[in-house]
Amino acid sequence: MHKNNNPILLKNIRVIDTSQNLDQEMNITINNGIISYFENSKKNIPFNEKDFRSVNCKDKILSPGIFDLRVYLNETNNENVSILKNAAVKSGVLKMGILPFQKPLLDNPIMIEHLIEKTNFNNDKFFYPYGGATKELKGNEIAELGLMAEVGAIGFTDAPNCIQDSLVMRRVMSYAKMLEKPILQNPEDKSLAGLTASNSTTIQGEMNEGEVSTRLGLVGIPSCAEVMIVERDLRLAELTGVHYHVSNVSTKETVEVIKRAKLNGIKITCDTSPPYFSLNELELSTYDTSFKLSPPLRNEEDRIAIQNAIFDDTIDIITSDHKPMSNDTKILPFTSASTGASGIETLLPLTLNLLNKSDVSIMNILKKITLNPSKLLKVEIPKIKSNEKANFIIFDPNEQYLINKDSLQTSPTPFHGRPVQGKNYMSMMNGEIVFDNLDLL
Amino acid sequence: MNKIHKINKTPPPIATLNSKNLLSIEGMNKLEINSLLDRADYFADLDPLKIIKTLNGYVILNVFFENSTRTRVSFELAGRRLGAEVINISVDKSSIKKGESLLDTANTLSAMKPNLLIVRHPESGAPKLFSDYLNCSIVNAGDGRHEHPTQALLDALTIRRRLGRIEGLKIAICGDILNSRVARSNIHLLTTLGVEVRCIAPPTLMPKSLENLGVNCFNSLKDGINNVNAIMLLRLQNERMSGTESPSKREYYRFYGLDEEKLRMAHHDAVIMHPGPMNRGVEIASSLADNEDRSLIKTQVEIGVAIRMATIEAVYNAQK
Repeated sequence: MHKNNNPILLKNIRVIDTSQNLDQEMNITINNGIISYFENSKKNIPFNEKDFRSVNCKDKILSPGIFDLRVYLNETNNENVSILKNAAVKSGVLKMGILPFQKPLLDNPIMIEHLIEKTNFNNDKFFYPYGGATKELKGNEIAELGLMAEVGAIGFTDAPNCIQDSLVMRRVMSYAKMLEKPILQNPEDKSLAGLTASNSTTIQGEMNEGEVSTRLGLVGIPSCAEVMIVERDLRLAELTGVHYHVSNVSTKETVEVIKRAKLNGIKITCDTSPPYFSLNELELSTYDTSFKLSPPLRNEEDRIAIQNAIFDDTIDIITSDHKPMSNDTKILPFTSASTGASGIETLLPLTLNLLNKSDVSIMNILKKITLNPSKLLKVEIPKIKSNEKANFIIFDPNEQYLINKDSLQTSPTPFHGRPVQGKNYMSMMNGEIVFDNLDLL
Repeated sequence: MNKIHKINKTPPPIATLNSKNLLSIEGMNKLEINSLLDRADYFADLDPLKIIKTLNGYVILNVFFENSTRTRVSFELAGRRLGAEVINISVDKSSIKKGESLLDTANTLSAMKPNLLIVRHPESGAPKLFSDYLNCSIVNAGDGRHEHPTQALLDALTIRRRLGRIEGLKIAICGDILNSRVARSNIHLLTTLGVEVRCIAPPTLMPKSLENLGVNCFNSLKDGINNVNAIMLLRLQNERMSGTESPSKREYYRFYGLDEEKLRMAHHDAVIMHPGPMNRGVEIASSLADNEDRSLIKTQVEIGVAIRMATIEAVYNAQK
């Protein structure tokens, strides 16, 4: 193993820094964690290569690390903070927004402070917590948004819950506006998303409503349950002037409504995650619970609409929506099985897969996992230039392989056995090598 | 009394299935279905005392996670008539309450080396989960809102024996289709056998995109049963009758309850079926339920045993 302070020479590497709009083939050296030489690869190297750990990185890409907008820090039987962190750096994710839905909930300043202290050592800022928008994420009373913002909450959300009550949503938005933080909503009209068998019992929806749910005898969630909330929220966003962010856009209708709102100048952004542009509801036909997600996988028309919305920039951000679940909660009949799947390890390759679907530029796609989340949350990502600390990932955008659930550290994945392309080979944070597979290149 | 139409004169062979499990009608082909019907037809006329007990030593576990009397007894009798050992387990009363997971329960039962598990479960897809993890055969005896394959098979045989054929008939299925596994199995089976299937339900109990399953959908009972040869009524659960899916029992009965007057719209020979247990005065008029010229409800129960014998035997054969 090479020591951290061994000088490294990266030859002919394609540097794509979305924050500087830079895309160039370069030669780079890293000395004591600092980028010391940073020049176009056409220039001759003015020093002796033998003094370096020299790697030819032709056709490999050096980029700022991924900023994963929304991650659940579920401490399950198979996952904890250090497993998550290892899995993240290995997969090129160097910053992540932590959702308040965990035990205990991040709906008060003490928990936010605790999480920041517990997870960020040596100025190694990795986890950025959101605060719960309402107390216990129940959607009834506003949480202490001001106090949470003071100790470092980067935004507010009740995810995976959706704030149903319009008045509560208005009040949360007004507060978030005052604090200049975004409010993230996982839109789903709860009363429409299930079956009410009698006044007392509601059966939760389990998958997208349509032919497949009819065949499988599973309770359907109509796709309009999503757009209805977005339309309401847009009115409230206009009223309050807050930065409103829609999480996990999954339907064609939602895309259309957001596109229109953007044209009308409303302060709105949105994200989606790989399942919604890679998979559709047909995956559920064998009752495979690794496809039990919220929002549910929609139909093919929706999938295509989501994919196109990424290309035309209606969708600003791609996030893993990482929600690990213990395998024990997945080997159950569909209705009893837990909702959610891991995603942090498959975010990069599934996002790069999009390059095969259109002539969209890699710069534009990388923005959606680096620059755009950092803009939304007003957390700067370190620039790649000379005399800066090394903060980047190096990946091969062309390497093709099959995702194998047994080689992932987090579970469950809905992408087992799927062909993808793109693999991370090195991660550097704050001048330190946190993951290094460069020798395998 | 109506005469029984017989299709086969010589005893038909053991039915052939493409799988060692019977999880759903969806995915079965005409040959598989007809071979089960033919074999069951033969069993239905056989004196139970004369049946050769070919399944001696074969162990069947009736694993019911949901209360049931008729289906459980029907499977039990079917197994016993073939000479198998049948053990009944109602799981809702034992392990589940102790927090044991479904698969652990299944594995425990499986360790006892049964040849066949007959599974009823309140969740759609549960028998499929069993089949993914266990080596023995699985027969679905009803899973959630998904399917109830043997019910559809027995319905089909009941109709065939009464009307002499299935292909080309017009059959209506009426009631809570949204929540009915019986409806789904019947839709798949009848459309596979070339029946014109009409589904009748109030809009709140009609599942989305049902027409994509190859049926015609109606909100009006009178339009739906126009000239049909058979009407299959579905049970309505009382809790759906109080303003959620339907405003009231009396309104439901007014529009969807089958009585003599509405029945006139159907073919003059049309028969009435119901998987039971029925709600008299909600989905069917009492007088119709008891009218033996029209109602095949009792015959359905009788044929049920024969269908399950044919099924158990076919599954046994497919394991070999």
